[in-house]
Order: sequence, then C-alpha cells, then structure tokens
Amino acid sequence: MTVLRVESVTKRYRGGVLANDGVSLDVAAGDVVGVLGHNGAGKTTLLNQIVGLTRPTSGAIAIDGTDVVANPAHARRACSLQPQSHAPLDGVTPRQAIELIARIRGASRRRARQRTAELLAGLDLEPWAATRGERLSGGVRRLTAFCLAAAEPGRILMLDEPTNDVDPVRRRLLWRQIRAVADAGAAVLLVTHGVVEAERAVDRIVILHNGRVVSDGTPAELRGSHDSRLRLELHAMSDAVAERLSPPFTAGGPPAVSGRRVVVTIDASEAAAAIGWAQRERAAGTVDEFAVNPASLEDVYIGLLGGRTEADRAA
Amino acid sequence: MLRSYALLVKWTLLRLRSTLPLLLLLQTLIGIGIVIGFSFLVPEADAGTALYLSTGALTIGLITVGMVAAPQLVAQQKLSGAFDHQRVLPVPRLAILAADASVWVALTLPGLAAALGVAVLRFDLHFTLSPLVVPAVLLVALCSTAIGYGVAYAARPEVALALTQLILFVALMFAPVNYPADRLPRWLAAAHEWLPFTYMAQSIRETVDVPAGGVSVLPFAVLALWSAAGLVVTYHVMTRRA
Repeated sequence: MTVLRVESVTKRYRGGVLANDGVSLDVAAGDVVGVLGHNGAGKTTLLNQIVGLTRPTSGAIAIDGTDVVANPAHARRACSLQPQSHAPLDGVTPRQAIELIARIRGASRRRARQRTAELLAGLDLEPWAATRGERLSGGVRRLTAFCLAAAEPGRILMLDEPTNDVDPVRRRLLWRQIRAVADAGAAVLLVTHGVVEAERAVDRIVILHNGRVVSDGTPAELRGSHDSRLRLELHAMSDAVAERLSPPFTAGGPPAVSGRRVVVTIDASEAAAAIGWAQRERAAGTVDEFAVNPASLEDVYIGLLGGRTEADRAA
Repeated sequence: MLRSYALLVKWTLLRLRSTLPLLLLLQTLIGIGIVIGFSFLVPEADAGTALYLSTGALTIGLITVGMVAAPQLVAQQKLSGAFDHQRVLPVPRLAILAADASVWVALTLPGLAAALGVAVLRFDLHFTLSPLVVPAVLLVALCSTAIGYGVAYAARPEVALALTQLILFVALMFAPVNYPADRLPRWLAAAHEWLPFTYMAQSIRETVDVPAGGVSVLPFAVLALWSAAGLVVTYHVMTRRA
C-alpha cells in the first residue's frame, strides 16, 4: 500500500537555485527506501517538502491520499523526521528526551516508556540512558536523535544521514531498528552516503542527481547490466608509476587513480586477459599487488553519476 | 493543544535545566545591581527618584529576560540546528509559543521579588501596592518576550544577537525607565511615545506605588498592542514555509 506519493515535485528557491527538478517517487508501508546522491543533489530539500517545512514550487505530495502541500500540519502529524543537525539534548538525558518527544508525538505514557526501553536496548544505548546530552559523544547523540523520531514514527519515518558519526557495530543495530520500524507498518525514507550499507539494508534505492531522479529500483535492479562488470584494483610501486599505468581495458571508462591505487572497471569476458596483463606488470616490477572483484554498487553509483558534481559541471 | 502545551513546557524546562540557575541568578543580580548601582550614581535620591530607580530595576529585569535572554536562546538554537528539531514536532505552533512564553515569564518572577526587596531596604520606601501589579508584570513580561521572539524568529541569528544588545542598551540608558521622560531631548521623548519601554516602566511604577490619580489604562493598552504585534510576527515566521 502506497503511503507516500511524490509527483513531479520541483523546488526552485528564491535565489534561483533549482533543488528538485520533477522528482517523483512512491514509498509503500513496510518499505525502506534509500535516497542517494552527491552533496547538493536535493535530498534534504525533498525531505523538508514532505514534512511541510518547505513548499514545492510545483508538483504534488500526498500521504495516505491527503494532499500535504495544502495541509502541512497533517504532514507533521504523519511524518517523523530526524534532521541532519544535532538534536537539542543539552540538559536532558536520552531516556527523558525520547520518552517526552514520543509523548509529544502522540504516544501514551505507557507506550512512550516501552518504546524508549526497546530502542535504548536495541541500540545498546543503556549505558548512556541517564547521561545528560552535553556529555554524550556525537555518535550517541545521533542515535538518540534517531530514537526521538523512531519512538513514535507515525506513517512515515524520514532520516537524514542517520549513520553519520555512528560506530560500525551500532550501525548494524541501527539498520535493524530501521527495519523493525518498517516491519511495524511505517514507510521509511532515508538519506545516506553509505552506498555499501544501503545496498544491504534497503528495499529500494533512489538516486538523485542535480535535483532529478536518475535511478529508482532495487539494489539488484540497479546493479542490473553492471552484473557482468568486474573491478580490477592495482597497487603501483609509486604514485608516478600509477599515473603512467595504462590498462588496455576500456569497458568501464578510464582508470581511477588515487595515489598508488588504480581502479579499472572491466568486462567479465576480459577477466583472463586482465589478470594476465596485471601479472606481467607485477613481474616487470611496476605493480605491487592486484585484485579482481565483482563491481560494487558504489562503482555503479559512481559510474551513473560520472563522478561529477554540480560544481564540476559549472566549471 | 493543552496536552501539547503541558508537554512542551516540560521539554523546555528540562532543556533549560543546566542554564536555568545561571539565568535566574543573572536576572536577580541585574535587578539588585541596578537598584544599588544607580544609588551610587544618584547618592541623594529623593522619594521620587528612588521610586523611579527601584521600579525601573524591575522593568529592566523583565526586559533582560524577554528581549535579551529569550531571543539569544532562540538565535543559539537556530545556529546549532536545534531549531530544525523543534519545527518538525507535530504540535500546534501556538502551543510552542505559549509554552516558551510561560517559561520565560515564570523565570522573571524570583528576580523581581529580590529587586523589590532590596529597593525597600536601600531606599526605605513605602509602597502602596495595587493588585494590578500582577497583570502589569505579566503583561510587561509577555510584551518583551513577544517582541524578543519576533526579532529572534524574523532576523538572522547574528543580527538578532546584535539587536538584543542594542535593545538592552537603549532600555537601560536612553529610555524613560529609570527617570522621567521630560529629561530626554524632545525628539527622543516623542519617539518613546510609540516605543514600549515608557509604558512598561509606567505600568510597573504605577501599580507598585499607585499615584493619586490612580493607575493609567493607556500603558496597558499600548503594551497589549505591542504584544500582539510581536506574537503575530513570530507566528507568521513560525508557520512560513521556505
């Protein structure tokens, strides 16, 4: 069942910046959808329009069939949003903050207490549950901010870069809680830069570029035609050698060089030839070591956006 | 609405917990400090001057909290991003405003009592306190908070911070709060007929020590208008979508 429907939403700010350009997407109950894109791709603008903080220049946004562009108060009741900025936790402990915000979001006292306990345990935050906000680390503050939104999420839970500052172990716990919110019937829309994490944790990935949706599908669909692609990674003997290496494979565009590291995307049919070439380079003493792996979603993502940003394009 | 209001008051108080004692202390010290400090400036204060100074101290105390501390906190929240979190809460905008205003008004009360007590001791004053002092104090507190919020919501945080300093400076030195308006140059006195400071001071002064002609109504009316203006601006900015 579709909970959120965004149709041809365009947002042009007063300064003339086009942040969203005809964005359309649907999110169903129980789905976790990840929005990926470069800085300035229009991701946060999209979330702000859904929750009613920003008004679209044109287009329609509906939550459970209700037009929320005309009724932003309804949007605030139906959505919970974890903004990118740090939550106001000075003077408040995570337990107090989560319980109180859950109640402000409409939960009964009992449910607020129960959800708070669930989230604190689920994210392994209990050691800090009674510590005042000003003494918490960035990661714990970020996770607490997640709990503020997730304790009583409403119909749509929206998260703006929820995994920032969070340690790898708790990231996994966080993804588990995000999934639990979706399983309980909410729609989840999250913005992230963690392409690799998103691949494992979300049902669908929407890629925004310069305010437009350039891709929308499951991680498998997104990899799609790229399934036959492999990545050849080489470590040259020095930076200068890395610059001079010219692998004779062009299926995935020119090699990406950073320091001694050279990455080339190759076609699976070229694998044998590529390994042979790399072996010869190694024997010749130009390459230290090399590896061939399936292309990751990150490679696909970078391939899709061409490694370019708005600033590059303007230049 | 009422449920949101009660929970928001709790939320605001919790978050202010670490700064609350400091704010209370500061506000009390300012009140007492003005009474004592001005008595150095005017060593031979007659009864009239003493009344101006002691009731002026109360007014300045209320202005400090409403027009300086409150907007500074809002500006700080804007800079730190805490503002974003508040804006997405599913509560009526009016409830946020009402909760904040209540907390700030409550915050001024202990300082007022202290300043008045010190004034009585220092100047050996005898007041004819009117019951109207309660609505007067509440109205002055509401008015300064409303204007302070209007400034803090409408202006960029950096501008708001500078403006609050200016407001305090004007109220303390260049407004007929601690002295009668006839000591000001005519143009400034005329300007103060439109600004709220004169009326804030007058409503407090006349209800603390009722003059022979009784408490004037005009200050209450003007302050109500200024409060409404501040609240309208704040509410408009709160509900505006970029």
